[in-house]
Amino acid sequence: MYPPKLEKIINLFESLPEIERRETLVSYADNAKKQEPRPGEKFVLEDVRKDEECADTVGVYLQVDDAGKAHFRMTLGPEVQTLTRAMTAILCKGLDGRTPQEVLELPSDFVTRIVGAELVRVRSQTIYYVLTRIKGICKVYFDRQRMAAVA
Amino acid sequence: MAEERIWWRVISKEGRGTKAPPTLPTFKLVAGARLRMSFTIMTTFPTQYSHPEALVDADWIEQHRNDADVRIIESNEDILLYDTGHIPGAVHIDWRSDLQDQVIRDYIAPDKFAELCGRNGITPDTTCVFYGDKANWWACYALWAFRLFGHEKVKILNGGRDKWKAEGRTMTREVAKYPQTNYPVPKKRYDKEIRAFADEALAQSKASKPLIDVRSPGEFKGEITHMAEYPQEGVLRGGHIPGAKSMPWKTATNDDSTFKPAGELAKIYFEQCGLKPGTDTVVYCRIGERSSHTWFVLTYLLGLENVRNYDGSWTEWGNKVGAPIEKSA
Repeated sequence: MYPPKLEKIINLFESLPEIERRETLVSYADNAKKQEPRPGEKFVLEDVRKDEECADTVGVYLQVDDAGKAHFRMTLGPEVQTLTRAMTAILCKGLDGRTPQEVLELPSDFVTRIVGAELVRVRSQTIYYVLTRIKGICKVYFDRQRMAAVA
Repeated sequence: MAEERIWWRVISKEGRGTKAPPTLPTFKLVAGARLRMSFTIMTTFPTQYSHPEALVDADWIEQHRNDADVRIIESNEDILLYDTGHIPGAVHIDWRSDLQDQVIRDYIAPDKFAELCGRNGITPDTTCVFYGDKANWWACYALWAFRLFGHEKVKILNGGRDKWKAEGRTMTREVAKYPQTNYPVPKKRYDKEIRAFADEALAQSKASKPLIDVRSPGEFKGEITHMAEYPQEGVLRGGHIPGAKSMPWKTATNDDSTFKPAGELAKIYFEQCGLKPGTDTVVYCRIGERSSHTWFVLTYLLGLENVRNYDGSWTEWGNKVGAPIEKSA
């Protein structure tokens, strides 16, 4: 149901007691910076903006290789909250190598399985924000591909 | 000379002078003038906070954070922020999981508060110093909640977490543990004294008593139902409680999240909002955290009594059947 890399991460989080779950989320958040674009990388789409739902600017960068597989890079402003940082690292890793269409079809119910009930609250709906942004860039790519095919 | 000028202003304020003061008093009080001045000037345009002991700076924390009778408490909006690093020795108290009842929209019962304090090594004699993100919104919220249970020794780290971090002060990920204490169960919760409910906010509105809406201007006007950068928290209607005055919480802070000087705060709340000592005042926002910040300013920095925080705030009022709403500018 989920991409294998993501499934592995979900299973890891579900196996952890609450304290270790928090520590692992913080560890992923620490690694969010590693998801930034690297020198020389080129992207088919870049979407850098600050939405009302997020405390700071978030950039999503999409690469699609010759086999049609998607690879993501992201940039986060300093005010972005810890859970959003964690989800950035988790999703860039967990969705790497899937097609844009597969990403678009991914249900969002796994997010709470990673974060856990204790950390989900109304003010933290931004835990879904990164997934929404990644799906958004995939949709733009997918629509452009369909339009190009029709043309 | 300075003393004469001050005295003249006092007379004018008392209605016995012939001319209104041309400008706000900005000079320092001279020695000897303080006693005669205190009645009017110190109340209306104070030169120092009413309770300066309620604010501490980072140096104070460095000197006292290991004191047995001091507990540093971090309260944040970012749920995992404490886990990423905090002031050495600080404990974490979460506004929702620790301070709120998990079923009813209300605060924990007194016995749960005693448990919370006990597991954080807090006694009634412990000085609790709160700090956190978002310019101390949640720190003030936690302080206010502690006051609900009658805990008296409370302080705020001026500038909060951001200033501490910006100054390059030490932070750690080591979770502090303290010996369990036996905090006596508070005999009551001081809801009546410092908390307002919807019916009381309505009565305040109908009686034309001071209501301060500390949300952003757009929320006050009813143009938006959530502040910028935040998700919608389920409010159906926009606007404000009839008769409320708009004074966004941030008006009370400097860019570094510290509180503005007493004189500036007095000008904002006494002159612009028209608040007066002794008058019942109710503050509100959307869920009670920003208004806790203003409640702290009014109660501790300006020394107003009878200030209550309507923590149900707009997420209650904006959804409440039959609640009147104004949308004026």
